[in-house]
Amino acid sequence: MVSYLTQDQPMLKYRWFLISALVLALAGGAAAQGKRSKADEEDEYYKLLRFETPPGEVLEAGAIEPLPDSKVAVSTRRGEVWLIENAYASDPKEAKFTRFAHGLHEVLGLAHKDGWLYVTQRPDVSRIKDTDGDGKADRFEVVAEGWGISGDYHEYAIGSKFDKDGNIWVTLCLTGSFTSDARFRGWAGKITPEGKFVPTTSGVRSPGGVGFNAEGDVFYTDNQGPWNGACGLKHLTVGGFVGHPGGFKWYKDPAARYLGAEPTTPKSGSRMMTEAKKIPQLNPTCVLFPYGKMGQSAAGIDCDLSGGKFGPFEKQLFVGDQTHSTVMRVFLEKVNGHYQGACFPFRSGFGSGCVPVRFGQDGSLFVGGTNRGWGSRGTKPFSIERLAWTGKVPFEIHEMRAKPDGFELTFTKPVDPATAGKPESYVMKTYTYIYQSAYGSPEVDHTTPKITKVEVGKDGKSVRLVVDKLQEGHVHDLTASGIRSVDGQMLLHPNAYYTLNYIPSK
Amino acid sequence: MRSPARLAVLILGSAVLTATPLSAAHPIVPGFERFYSGPDTEPAKGGTLLLGELNCVSCHAAAEGTKKQAPVLDGIGTRARVSHLRKFLADPQSVKPGTTMPGLFAGDPDKEAKVEALVHFLASTGSVKQTRPDLKATIRGKDTYAKVGCAACHGPRDLTGEPAKQAAEFAVPLGDLKGKYTIPALAAFLANPLQSRPAGRMPHLLKPNEATDVANYLLQGTKLNVPAGMGTTAYSYFEGGWENLQDFGKLKSKLQGTSVAFEIGIAKAESHYGFRFEGYFRAEAAGKYTFTLSSDDGSRLLVDGEKVVDNDGVHATEIKSGSIELTKGVHKVIVDYFQGGGEATLDVAIEGRGLVRQPLAPLVAATEEELDRKPEPKKNEKDDNALTVRPDLAEKGKGLFLSAGCASCHTLLAGGKPLVSTATAPELGKLKPNGGCLAETPAPGLPRYDLNAVQRRALAAAIAKPQAAPTDPKAVIANSMLTFNCYACHARDKVGGPTELTDKLFTTTTPEMGDEGRVPPPLDGVGAKLNPDYLKQLLDKGADDRPYMHARMPGFGNSNVGHLTAAFGSVDALPSVPPVKFAQTESKVISAGRFMVGAQAFGCIKCHTFAGNKAEGVQGIDMLLMPKRLKRDWFHGYCIDPQKIRPGTRMPTAWPNGQSVLPNVLDGQAHTQVEAIWAYLGSKSPQIPAGMGRKFMPLIPRDEAIIYRNFIQGAGTRAIGVGYPEKLNLAFDANELRLAMIWKGGFIDAARHWTDRGDGFEGPLGDETLRFPAGASFAVLSKPEAPWPGGNPRDAGLKFLGYSTTKDERPTFRYAFHGITIEDFPNPSGKENPTLQRTFTLAADRRVDGVYFRAAVGSKIEPSGGGWFRVDGWKVRIDGAEPFVRQSDGKSELLVPMRLTDRTAKFVQEFAW
Repeated sequence: MVSYLTQDQPMLKYRWFLISALVLALAGGAAAQGKRSKADEEDEYYKLLRFETPPGEVLEAGAIEPLPDSKVAVSTRRGEVWLIENAYASDPKEAKFTRFAHGLHEVLGLAHKDGWLYVTQRPDVSRIKDTDGDGKADRFEVVAEGWGISGDYHEYAIGSKFDKDGNIWVTLCLTGSFTSDARFRGWAGKITPEGKFVPTTSGVRSPGGVGFNAEGDVFYTDNQGPWNGACGLKHLTVGGFVGHPGGFKWYKDPAARYLGAEPTTPKSGSRMMTEAKKIPQLNPTCVLFPYGKMGQSAAGIDCDLSGGKFGPFEKQLFVGDQTHSTVMRVFLEKVNGHYQGACFPFRSGFGSGCVPVRFGQDGSLFVGGTNRGWGSRGTKPFSIERLAWTGKVPFEIHEMRAKPDGFELTFTKPVDPATAGKPESYVMKTYTYIYQSAYGSPEVDHTTPKITKVEVGKDGKSVRLVVDKLQEGHVHDLTASGIRSVDGQMLLHPNAYYTLNYIPSK
Repeated sequence: MRSPARLAVLILGSAVLTATPLSAAHPIVPGFERFYSGPDTEPAKGGTLLLGELNCVSCHAAAEGTKKQAPVLDGIGTRARVSHLRKFLADPQSVKPGTTMPGLFAGDPDKEAKVEALVHFLASTGSVKQTRPDLKATIRGKDTYAKVGCAACHGPRDLTGEPAKQAAEFAVPLGDLKGKYTIPALAAFLANPLQSRPAGRMPHLLKPNEATDVANYLLQGTKLNVPAGMGTTAYSYFEGGWENLQDFGKLKSKLQGTSVAFEIGIAKAESHYGFRFEGYFRAEAAGKYTFTLSSDDGSRLLVDGEKVVDNDGVHATEIKSGSIELTKGVHKVIVDYFQGGGEATLDVAIEGRGLVRQPLAPLVAATEEELDRKPEPKKNEKDDNALTVRPDLAEKGKGLFLSAGCASCHTLLAGGKPLVSTATAPELGKLKPNGGCLAETPAPGLPRYDLNAVQRRALAAAIAKPQAAPTDPKAVIANSMLTFNCYACHARDKVGGPTELTDKLFTTTTPEMGDEGRVPPPLDGVGAKLNPDYLKQLLDKGADDRPYMHARMPGFGNSNVGHLTAAFGSVDALPSVPPVKFAQTESKVISAGRFMVGAQAFGCIKCHTFAGNKAEGVQGIDMLLMPKRLKRDWFHGYCIDPQKIRPGTRMPTAWPNGQSVLPNVLDGQAHTQVEAIWAYLGSKSPQIPAGMGRKFMPLIPRDEAIIYRNFIQGAGTRAIGVGYPEKLNLAFDANELRLAMIWKGGFIDAARHWTDRGDGFEGPLGDETLRFPAGASFAVLSKPEAPWPGGNPRDAGLKFLGYSTTKDERPTFRYAFHGITIEDFPNPSGKENPTLQRTFTLAADRRVDGVYFRAAVGSKIEPSGGGWFRVDGWKVRIDGAEPFVRQSDGKSELLVPMRLTDRTAKFVQEFAW
């Protein structure tokens, strides 16, 4: 069944194997082994640069914030804040790491304002400053507390950068990720510029990251589990309920009374859109990340506001995944007043489990990684990396919009009308998830709608798919591997997953 | 489950609940109830199942057809009570509704005499033993019954061991267990069911100690006898969420009574409760006695009102001892205990003059008077088990055993020889579809099964159209799964599996594993997955390889289900993986396998235990079980594309789209790497992979202080630990804004929080720890005698502002109180034998009167020279203010009034210990 090199084979032969293996290893592994990996392909367009952290130090990244003086702050799960100088150098080895603060309690949010670095840590949002100029923080001030901690490790507090009104948004993971045993576990809220914690949204389960879209609206990622069939991107609104009823008891808390009575508890075993019709506060998940295909643990979120420095995806969102060690791309639109949209694979091959993602001043994307306590494809226990656009535009689906009778896709490059105009170039199936109290859900209610017509747009960079039997509330899972660009390129990522909560009327 | 009969079955189920004729007692064969009792099912198929399960073919010979061997009656006298046998043989269906045992004397005018003769005969095989019930065992048994799988076939049961209120679908009834069994009899049966029921319909599931526990649980009396005499304590039971022991003497209890000594099992909740146990103990000689408390969470022990052992706090099982000199005679013992969450244990031991270390429980009694009284034996129930076997009746009974038909189904050795039935019946092929046993009321002398209409119709159809026994392996598998009720737990080919109701009965230690970790797996593809040797063993003896899944696989006996191994193997197939040829030596391949599995590579051990060593997050199935359980080809397929074999699994892959995330290991090909891992796991004594287990990570301040904020034992969930280079350390509780602990020596071990998921509370690394009581350090008192306020200091107006640090990281804590900003700078006094000095600076923005600082609380505070005060075992000094001692609330307090001149004040609190 298996055969090994035996010891009494001529050493010369073995040495040959050894040398060639070494050569292959030096040549960069997979490239010499045959087929290029996806990460190698993606590297042509978005280069993955890995920082060398100081030897012996452990930087399990929790949050990242670029600072006005061109340094980049990184906070860690061990409660430290590090500053990176020369973070934007094209050779990441030129970066210098210095420790700014330590002894904090697991910092998973960073925001800078007026010389203060605001840290979201497990017990509170505090702000820290170096007042005596020795390069180390010496002033630690509590900005806002207002939520409970029972001593369970899973009660994470994940914080955002400042929103356009000067608030920091915080998402509070459920106790054990299942119940709400302490104040406002399972809620999101904001810390106002005056330093008050205002709970705004119930229904949070196990958040991975919180960020803003181009309009400044607040989103967070939640993870597969009870009341979450798959990971998803959700919209935080004041008075909204985003899915998990575990924290309803806190509607009675004085701080939340302004929101009124708690929503009706959803019926387990139903579908999210069915319950959303009955429960006015329920905001259905805007973008579902189909489990196993688009990651398994969605995490940090940031929006490309670089004005083109990060390639063609301006104003789109980028979401890290801790299990797959990937960054995914999200396009959002509003239909019937609700955000929904599509997610696409974007970049794989990160060093550890991707958690914080944050755009730097030059439009490159910093990605922090940690996988302690969970598994990830990236084999490093922690990593800090930077993704920089090479200037080369990949051939990708740019945007995907829902139409009353199908979808409209735009592309980053002109398409070959012959392949792009054929319905056979596209495969679409739909499915959804059970909205239930049990853990996660398989894909259910499968349908195979027919793409009856495809029209290539006049500018050659868009197609209009006419699809019969669109399914409200379903992920519309599209594979467009038949398409070519005018230069004959295949799509770098032919998959798109659109969460069609609402079908537009026009 | 998508059987076409499902809707019909549900309708039938509701019909059962609404007491239509169908609901009358009839023999319950679970496979028939679930799949063949609805209107749209195939009666002949259902009838064939019944022919076997009701053992028709034991009397009505048939060329083909399985039969279910009836219970072996050797030694039946040792298993069942005589009173039960008497009632049961007279009318089985009314004594145990749902039984498959027919009544042989229905309508017989001589029934009573015949039954009595049989009873004498059966009783001649032995008699039952009795034991006292064990409360601890009963509590464990309830848990075991609910979790390991009993409930999947027999339905859920409540606290008292009775069937739970909600309908149990297709449950196999247990009848009146209390009437039939005694505890040792039932325990013996449960420990080895296949011995008396070799047919394996009841499989082997319990270890011997569990069998005793479950027997205790199922045979609970209607009221637990309150014991008297030695081994008891009076108890008061409280409920509440605390981090420390409360003054139970002052709280209002929810429940009081006398119970088994120190028995926390009688608590009404699983968490957030407390007990005060009081009992009396006689010291046979004067001298030193040592008491030991082992508890989770906190406990303390007092003798004659004096605290001897303090094991307080929220913690996993900790053991503490204390000694006291006792005079000869009776002494009162009080044990206080509280439970937070999680595990709950309490054990009390004593050691002393004439006593080697032993449990205290048997030596105490709830009252002084009962101290020397022995526990009374329970007054026996009317003993209708008393039977003196009459040889003449037994002989008559033996004759009936042969002639009435008992021996057609039941084997029994008499004088070493099996008894052979003399009853006769027509061959199956010659039967009419509605006569004999199938008549609505069978003639006297015929076995009366009390079949219902559906069953009669099914049997008639099966007799009219005999079904050949399945030979095709797929059909063999389906037939066996039906017969042995595998479908109660397992689905296969979209048939069977837990129903919506029974699904809730399956529980797990790890909810985040989803259904994979909770519910027994569907058996699709099991023949391609499991090693035939392993499969054979688990079918025969059962298995418990998924520690996180409470349900376990029972053992059905090789003679019953051994044939399934080959059947599964022939039906289920996976693509075979060609042999791998390595370019490296075996030891290098194994080394590569070990590397890949470790934390520096694919990290399998983050989720899978290895040789019993714990994994980082969830505790997935042990890796060393894999080569024993799994087929190599399946291992390859699953590792490379887990979603394909088990859609929705949490198992990730190191080879997404077939490409390794570590292309530099071996030749980078998926199958090569998987084969290397396979070889490593299957090698002799594989070395544990790198990165397993928690290391020691002490934080050692050298030139600067180290601050550590996390869950610190004794300082709460918002704890701020500070370690100073002078080897003094403290923990500040930012929830209560107080100094919680100070200690010397090592600061803290960060490994708990910086390894794996960082779960739990970590305590001081060093020792000589002083723990200060809960409560605010500052308060406004209306007058100096006013009691110090209780409750949360934050509710009293204290607000945490943060801290600032010196250049060498020594913090100054800052908090606000009634318009006063308080700065609290702790610092060791020097390098050699330092004390801890806390410099307080207060600045008020308004005039505030009546502000006090509480410098110490203890049972005794007295001046000890040089401005120092001795507080129990340590000393405190105040510099820059005038402290005074007062008694309040049964304790001594050292209070310091704040005199804010120009709205500022400054003083130093110094600790020496």
